[in-house]
Amino acid sequence: MKRNTRRLTAMALAGVAVAASGCSVANSGGGGYDLNTLRIVLPQEPPTLEPCESSLTSTGVVVRSNITEPLVERNPTTGDLEPLLATDWEQSSPTEWTFTLRDGVTFSDGAPFTAEDAAFSIDRAVNSDLQCNVDGYVFGDEVLTLQTPDENTVVVGTTKPDPILPLRLSFVEIVPRTTSMTEKVREPIGTGPYAIRDWEYGQKLILARNDTYWGDAPAFPVAEYQWRSEGSVRAAMITNDEADIATGLGPEDGAGDLGVPFQNNETTALRMQATEPPLDDIRVRQAINYATNRTGIVKALFRDLGQPAAQLIPSGVVGYNDQLQPWPHDTDKAKALIDEARADGVPVDREIRLIGRTAQFPKIAETIEVLQSEFAEIGLNVKIEMMDTASQLEYQLRPFPPNTGPYLLMIMHGNQAGDAAFTMDQYMLSDGPQSAYGTAEFDAKIRAAEQLEGEARQDAFAELFAEEPQQIMQMAYLAHMRGILGKSPRVDYTPNSATGDEMRLAAMSPAADRTDKS
Amino acid sequence: MFSFVRRRMYTSALPLIIVLLGVFLLARLTGDPTNLYLSESATPEQRAAFAEQNGFNDPLITQLIDYFKGVLHLDFGTSLRTGESAAEMALRAFPATLQLAFATMLLAIVGAVVVGCWAAYRPNSLADRFSSLLSMTAASIPDFWFAITGVWLFAVLLGVLPTSGVDAGVLSWILPVATLMIRPLGVLTQVVRGAMVSALSAPYIRLARSKGAGDFRVVSHHALRNAAAPALTVAGDLMVSLINGAVVVEAIFGWPGIGKLMIDAILQRDFAVLQAAVLLTAVSIFLLNIIIDACYALLDARVREPARV
Repeated sequence: MKRNTRRLTAMALAGVAVAASGCSVANSGGGGYDLNTLRIVLPQEPPTLEPCESSLTSTGVVVRSNITEPLVERNPTTGDLEPLLATDWEQSSPTEWTFTLRDGVTFSDGAPFTAEDAAFSIDRAVNSDLQCNVDGYVFGDEVLTLQTPDENTVVVGTTKPDPILPLRLSFVEIVPRTTSMTEKVREPIGTGPYAIRDWEYGQKLILARNDTYWGDAPAFPVAEYQWRSEGSVRAAMITNDEADIATGLGPEDGAGDLGVPFQNNETTALRMQATEPPLDDIRVRQAINYATNRTGIVKALFRDLGQPAAQLIPSGVVGYNDQLQPWPHDTDKAKALIDEARADGVPVDREIRLIGRTAQFPKIAETIEVLQSEFAEIGLNVKIEMMDTASQLEYQLRPFPPNTGPYLLMIMHGNQAGDAAFTMDQYMLSDGPQSAYGTAEFDAKIRAAEQLEGEARQDAFAELFAEEPQQIMQMAYLAHMRGILGKSPRVDYTPNSATGDEMRLAAMSPAADRTDKS
Repeated sequence: MFSFVRRRMYTSALPLIIVLLGVFLLARLTGDPTNLYLSESATPEQRAAFAEQNGFNDPLITQLIDYFKGVLHLDFGTSLRTGESAAEMALRAFPATLQLAFATMLLAIVGAVVVGCWAAYRPNSLADRFSSLLSMTAASIPDFWFAITGVWLFAVLLGVLPTSGVDAGVLSWILPVATLMIRPLGVLTQVVRGAMVSALSAPYIRLARSKGAGDFRVVSHHALRNAAAPALTVAGDLMVSLINGAVVVEAIFGWPGIGKLMIDAILQRDFAVLQAAVLLTAVSIFLLNIIIDACYALLDARVREPARV
């Protein structure tokens, strides 16, 4: 028995050794606070830093304008395009745009930036078989032609005139021509103010200042990203001085005065599958709009962090119609419309699925419950279904699953580009990737508006947003959302409408009293 | 002893295969990953190419055979999400979970032995009531609530612990371990207490006392040794659930372990990573069960030798 006891003791000691090895955790690095390090906590780890995937929020928020840069970029406040790697651009023919590139730019590995790199990057993101997200979201099925008449000039051609090609190209991040054309890269090289120093997968990502950067050096020499899925933990990291910036917070997460509200470009809406009875009857869709208490939801659930919406884009985006008013909340009118439809033989008692995506925005579960209750009150038979992202996307993106029956789908659309064309192509064209219904006549109007420029373009899209509910009414708009950014008093930074998608580290600097608070 | 271990390996192989089969089939029932990985306007041709490239077009039985062939060659495939080797991702995350589970279980056993023995030795004492409180707490408090409350109290309000992460040395361990420890500590304390009550009333304890053994010696050398077997069995089961179920704690505290990896893999329909993570966990649990049985056999000769009639 003594021998057995010794064996057990030895095993216990081995257990202790394994556990004790752990004051440093496997799969982790060392820590410690450093005044020169900007600490950022995100809701999730970027799956990749591949620049051609930067239209994905979780990738773009780290990559765009930090590690890599585009030729031009949109100022999120003014909406104007500003020079970045291109200093000048012009429409040299109806189907061609010529970009003059900046001199003296090098990639973080020391290689010079030339027109060949620019052409390669556009070709890689748009024309290759890489299946880049930016290709689908920004360029659809467009194929671009590329010429490099000299080292500082690149000419981009389209199949038909595209007045907003420079805006589209603001989504293409420039990489060196040595980057793989057949495989995506996880850790890219770019011309941005920062370069990747270390990525401990699953734990943290560290960027260090790119010493060869062509512009002004960013204030923080190092930026360290971590990720926590729980919003209240991210908020606690701010209040506990473990992070300087926390993204994706909700009003209930507890950031308090350190939570900065900002308009984040996102608009929520219910998309109605108008091809299925009873939703194929416009009176039922009108009733759903009348039954939706937008003001109540924004006030009670979103704690006024939002604004009732009358269209799918917020102000500041080209095409926004400032004359449109949110649909009034009128339960009696909604009931009357449902009764009228029932009297005409529309199967209003048929079960309608109300589909929401878990954690899509703060209080989504409560929002869905309120909507279900409002629709039940007017006589519709609505059943709630909450899904994870992958399952919900099957209903959001074409091709839609067959034999689904009628459904209302909660969507949240963020127009990152600042032009209504991106919204119309996705959600309003009858065969748009995220559209369930439309008409050929309305499609033609969209295509015509997309050819316009300046005021004419603004007016044409604004008119279409006013027209859509009269003719098609695929949506019950809910709210233009506002986000909350957790910000430590150590850092000076003002979030803008692009912060959720493209958080420029170079725009952050130490607060004047930073050292006093250490 | 060797033949005992061999017998256990044979009997554990079948459940392992069933687990692998189950995960493979259930993962594919969760839906199509295409929309998560292709652009919004991907053409039918591009979708077909994606399915072809990842083998999703093949009949399920072909995919299953390919998977098992890969497992035999230690090739677990590539992550759809990151493009990394699925096995590398699982192997990188697993040690952190093991460390957390071992530390938690070690502290739970020590705590349970101390409180359980004390409660058994002094029925209706403060320790006895404390052991009952522990059990009720373990049964009634969700670990999610405990974790968030712990962050609020110890990190935000008192400022004595980090909210999360693994960079603060031993302090990083306190909240995750405390959260994970509640249930095993409550359950084990009751098991130790029950076994000790039974052992302390046995005739050999009275004999030991009559021969002049002191209280500490009676408890630690005589009663506890005989009460250890049931506690070991329960501890083994709890350890298995810790390795398998640290998901919530890992997600909340940003612990870079395999539980969080599995959840991410499920949400992202990253089948290869999910399968690799489950296989690694299942093999570890299988090995752990063998170790527990071997310990049990060391404690009790009746277990290691087949009964002779």
